Amino acid sequence: MSEPMGRFTAVNTISRGLKEAPILRQGLGVTWMFAAIGALGRVVVPILIQQSIDRGIIGVGQVDLTAILLFGAIAAVGLTVAATCQRIAILRLGSRSEKALFNLRVRLIGHIHRLSLADHNEQRRGSLTARVTSDIDTLTQFFSWGGLAWLLDGTLVLIIAAVMLSYNWVLALTAFFVAAPLVIVLRLVQKRLVVAYERARSHNADMTTSISEVVSGSRTIRAYGAEEYFTDLTRAAVHRRATTQIRANVISAFLFPSGEVFSVLTIAAVVSMGVWIGPAGGLTAGAVVGFVFLAYRFLEPVAQFTEVLDQTQTAVAGLRRVMAVLDMPIGPPEAEITRDLPDGVLDVICDGVTFAYPSRLEGRIESRLLDEAVIKDLNLVIPAGQHVALVGATGSGKTTVARLIARFADPTFGEIRIGGVPLHLVANDDLRVRVAVVSQEPFLFDDTVIANVRFARPEASDAEVWVVIGTLGLTEWAEGLSHGLQTVVGGRGEVMSAGERQLIALIRVGLINPGVLILDEATSSVDARSEVEISRALASLARGRTTVSIAHRLSTAARADRVLVLDHGVLVQDGTHSELAATPGPYRVLYEDWMRSTRSSSAEHLDTYGERGRAG
Amino acid sequence: MSSPDQRGRFRRLRSAYRLISALISLHPKIFAVALAGGVSFAVATVASSLAIRWVIDNVIIIRFDEPPLAGGQLLIGLGLVIGIGLLRSVAVVVRRSFAGIFQWRSAETLSRSVAERYLRQPMSWFQGRSEGDLIARAGVDVEATVSVLAPIPFATGAVVLLVLSTSWLLWTDLPIGAVALVAGPSLLWANVRYQRRAEGHFTAAQEHLGDFSGAVHESLDGVNLVKAYGAEERETRRLGELAAMVRESRIAAIRLRATFEALLELVPALTNVCLVVVGAVRISSGDLSIGELTAAVFMFSLLVFPLRLIGYVLSDLPRSQAGWARITEILSDPIMADPKDRIGVAPDGWGVTAVGVTHTPGREGSGADMNPTLREVHLQVPSGEVLAVVGATGSGKTTLIEVLAGLRSHTGEIRVAEGPQAVVLQEAFLFAGTIRANLCLGEPYEDEQIWTALDWAAATEFVSELRKGLDTVVGERGVSLSGGQRQRVALARALLRRPVLLLADDVTSALDPSTEIAVLENLRVNLGSTTVVMVASRPSTILLADQVAFLRDGSLVEQGLHSDLMSRHRDYRAIVEAFETDRKHSGAAVTQRGRDE
Repeated sequence: MSEPMGRFTAVNTISRGLKEAPILRQGLGVTWMFAAIGALGRVVVPILIQQSIDRGIIGVGQVDLTAILLFGAIAAVGLTVAATCQRIAILRLGSRSEKALFNLRVRLIGHIHRLSLADHNEQRRGSLTARVTSDIDTLTQFFSWGGLAWLLDGTLVLIIAAVMLSYNWVLALTAFFVAAPLVIVLRLVQKRLVVAYERARSHNADMTTSISEVVSGSRTIRAYGAEEYFTDLTRAAVHRRATTQIRANVISAFLFPSGEVFSVLTIAAVVSMGVWIGPAGGLTAGAVVGFVFLAYRFLEPVAQFTEVLDQTQTAVAGLRRVMAVLDMPIGPPEAEITRDLPDGVLDVICDGVTFAYPSRLEGRIESRLLDEAVIKDLNLVIPAGQHVALVGATGSGKTTVARLIARFADPTFGEIRIGGVPLHLVANDDLRVRVAVVSQEPFLFDDTVIANVRFARPEASDAEVWVVIGTLGLTEWAEGLSHGLQTVVGGRGEVMSAGERQLIALIRVGLINPGVLILDEATSSVDARSEVEISRALASLARGRTTVSIAHRLSTAARADRVLVLDHGVLVQDGTHSELAATPGPYRVLYEDWMRSTRSSSAEHLDTYGERGRAG
Repeated sequence: MSSPDQRGRFRRLRSAYRLISALISLHPKIFAVALAGGVSFAVATVASSLAIRWVIDNVIIIRFDEPPLAGGQLLIGLGLVIGIGLLRSVAVVVRRSFAGIFQWRSAETLSRSVAERYLRQPMSWFQGRSEGDLIARAGVDVEATVSVLAPIPFATGAVVLLVLSTSWLLWTDLPIGAVALVAGPSLLWANVRYQRRAEGHFTAAQEHLGDFSGAVHESLDGVNLVKAYGAEERETRRLGELAAMVRESRIAAIRLRATFEALLELVPALTNVCLVVVGAVRISSGDLSIGELTAAVFMFSLLVFPLRLIGYVLSDLPRSQAGWARITEILSDPIMADPKDRIGVAPDGWGVTAVGVTHTPGREGSGADMNPTLREVHLQVPSGEVLAVVGATGSGKTTLIEVLAGLRSHTGEIRVAEGPQAVVLQEAFLFAGTIRANLCLGEPYEDEQIWTALDWAAATEFVSELRKGLDTVVGERGVSLSGGQRQRVALARALLRRPVLLLADDVTSALDPSTEIAVLENLRVNLGSTTVVMVASRPSTILLADQVAFLRDGSLVEQGLHSDLMSRHRDYRAIVEAFETDRKHSGAAVTQRGRDE
């Protein structure tokens, strides 16, 4: 289990981040050196002015032009070198951080894909996507602006301070002393600013929700004549967004001027102190004028730096979220020493299987585990080749049982064996080929039909795919597609009908040769023609294989060799359809409801039809 | 003669002017204050360098040339520096605050106008438009449009500053002014050029990031499949390739930025070096004071940032203009006729009458009309009766319901009974709010009425089990509820209104058999006087109806009794018995038992 996030300090997070992304550390010293030389460029002009005033310009008609030209030439060379170094530093830091973040992104994707399915529920999916996209992007922002500021501005403040001290330590200390409170003021303003922006962001999200509902809920709004009500709601949401944005803006309007005020105060203090000391203390006019410039240059990076601190906080928070995902244990891990599955059809044995979602167990005492478990002490033997239907209400655990058999997660207690081999000892590659899961609300990528079929086995040739299509009796269907197997299915397969999506999923399974087939039945019905094609293809797939169906429709259960009824994670009934339907119990209740809801007419109508059917 | 390129530029500038003046006319007073702040800032900036010059010439240099300390001069100098600095700060606060107010109030006005437009247009207007695009127009596009506004007061101030400082420099000393006159505009030019070029890289990077995010989203959406086929590594590799495109385009942008940032440091600094050298010569000839030279250098460093900002505004204009064009497209589109207005009042004793009703999809006036999805439909439903609409997929069931509800346009005549009407749509759309708000939609209903409606929709049990009951917030589109629960809430929403006419599109499709029976039973008992037209896809729903309307390919085959339709139409029978066929597989003995009860 991962450590609670609160225990990570910022420093820990950053040093872990550096460990995860070694590219960032490589050559950091060299980058810093370039940045430092670049930063030196900023003090060239003030020094030039000081030198010119003190050593070149003595008065009217007394200008040492040779010296001035020499100073100017040195300054120009220095500035060019500094600018070149600065360019190198930005480039090094920028490209390295892009590379590092790219590596982190890929690692993160790999890790997320390997997480247990228990960690992949609807609510989490959005936030996992955000880890890979927007959180990593916060880091990018930080590295390309904030990271540079740390290197450049930090160095700059030190360099300027050093130059000031070398000119005159009294003046320098005066400047530091007057400027110091700026840091406190800036921190105060920025803290409020962060809060204000946070609020503005959340109201912005509310506004987007509100507007998107006006669009996607337009049918409902019109159906109920609720236009006025939604006009008011939207108006309020839009207004709140503007108001919070303005508030944030007004606070930020004070950021720059506070730097300005302190610059002016510092300059005033330096000038007063300089004039008060006078030439007596070895001070020169050039140095005082130079100080006026340095004071500005000194406060610039200080102001930027405080802004960077907030960016740093955001970045550290983003990094922490990324690390937390990397710390999540990956889904069922592969055993170090694996055992091969026997060839052919496989039997399935569940031995005292209990399962509870790990996320729901966090911080709970062991004794409550059974309350939270979605599968409780399941013992089951499915002989090779048998067709079993899992039946139960939503939340009864039938889907979970199927997922455990496919090893999308490991049981909390107990063991599942297929073909006599404990599931956790089967190599992943072996498992994925021998145990196939077919969802009847299958997922399709926005690609061609054949690309979606090949997802099961990318190296399969066109001929192999056509053989499978033929075996499943779908040749006619496949040839009838607008662009054959090259037809593009659209996002989530939206171009295809529900029935066609199922057919594609079945061909996909046909491409591998599983010993156990797990069928997750669709909840909604499809058109009559697809229905016929689907059941024919399914029958051909299931022939001679151990099949576990998650049955949402009782007609499916009725066709199975054996029915297992689950209720709140407990196996309550086990038998054939006709046995269970004739015995009082939960299955019988379900069955009778189903009978009533599917009865199309009174017996009289049926009879009428029956007669006509015979007559015709 | 002006070249085509120049003319194009001129046109762009004119449209930019039109855009900005249109936006200013939304909130002219706020803009005026912001502008005043911007100009005061410019004036104060020039003044601050003058103050520095005064202090250098009259306090510092004098003090170091002629030792005695001039207290009075020092005080005046300090007063000038601090006073002008404070003035400059106040101007910044005023400018930035009001620029922000101006920007966001304009955004508010635009977003609100667009959203209100969406609420006023009838459903037919929405056909053929993508939801995402419409949402973007009221959100992202508005933001893009107004993003140019905030910097305008500053940019205007910056132009004033540029003019003032250059003229001051020229007036102080011609050669010094000449250096500034060359350096300033070239810096501006470099800024604009950089922004334009960088824009290309950033757009490319943004597009790659969009592709990558889309692919990550899709891949995680299909994670079950990825795991089922052990394709984790393959997917990671594929996404990695997309991430690499993001990386490469970003590095290209960084390369450009690195050069630009370095130049932005270098050019003003080199200009300053030139100023010092030229200045030294001028001081030597007695044409310039040290203070004047220093002030010139000082002023030039103050110009760097405003120049950068003007470059930013100019390069940002195209984005604003694109957003503005997309917004005005919506705002200038005339409000279409509401099909609801074409629905008349049915004579006494009738719930719905329809004569020759036809619906042709495609946006009205677009010319590209498609085949009608509803053809010459005649219906007559007496008050208080239930009509089931039956047909194969694509036969026009949903269209019929939506046409009767006035959500789609029609030709022919529709008349419905007067009084409250409720529609239950195929997709049970819930808004991100409490269950109560979703049920009431702004109408004041008592809790008692609400619970009764929930009762009828068989939703009482799960709603009362929610932690906050009626005040539980359902996520956007009701994601925190299951499909069946959403459908029941949507049904309760309709029943709460005690409608005279209830139009329902497949009310019970997502319910399990037991719940379905309970709900249909409630409808039968409690909706005695309500006329109901409902799409039925299960025999149990059909059995609830008094009559059935059988649709085939958009035409009404027959309106009549279920038994008559069963005997007359083979395809009707096939549809109804799709479930029956299933049942035949399941053992005769139990079938008999089921029928007895």
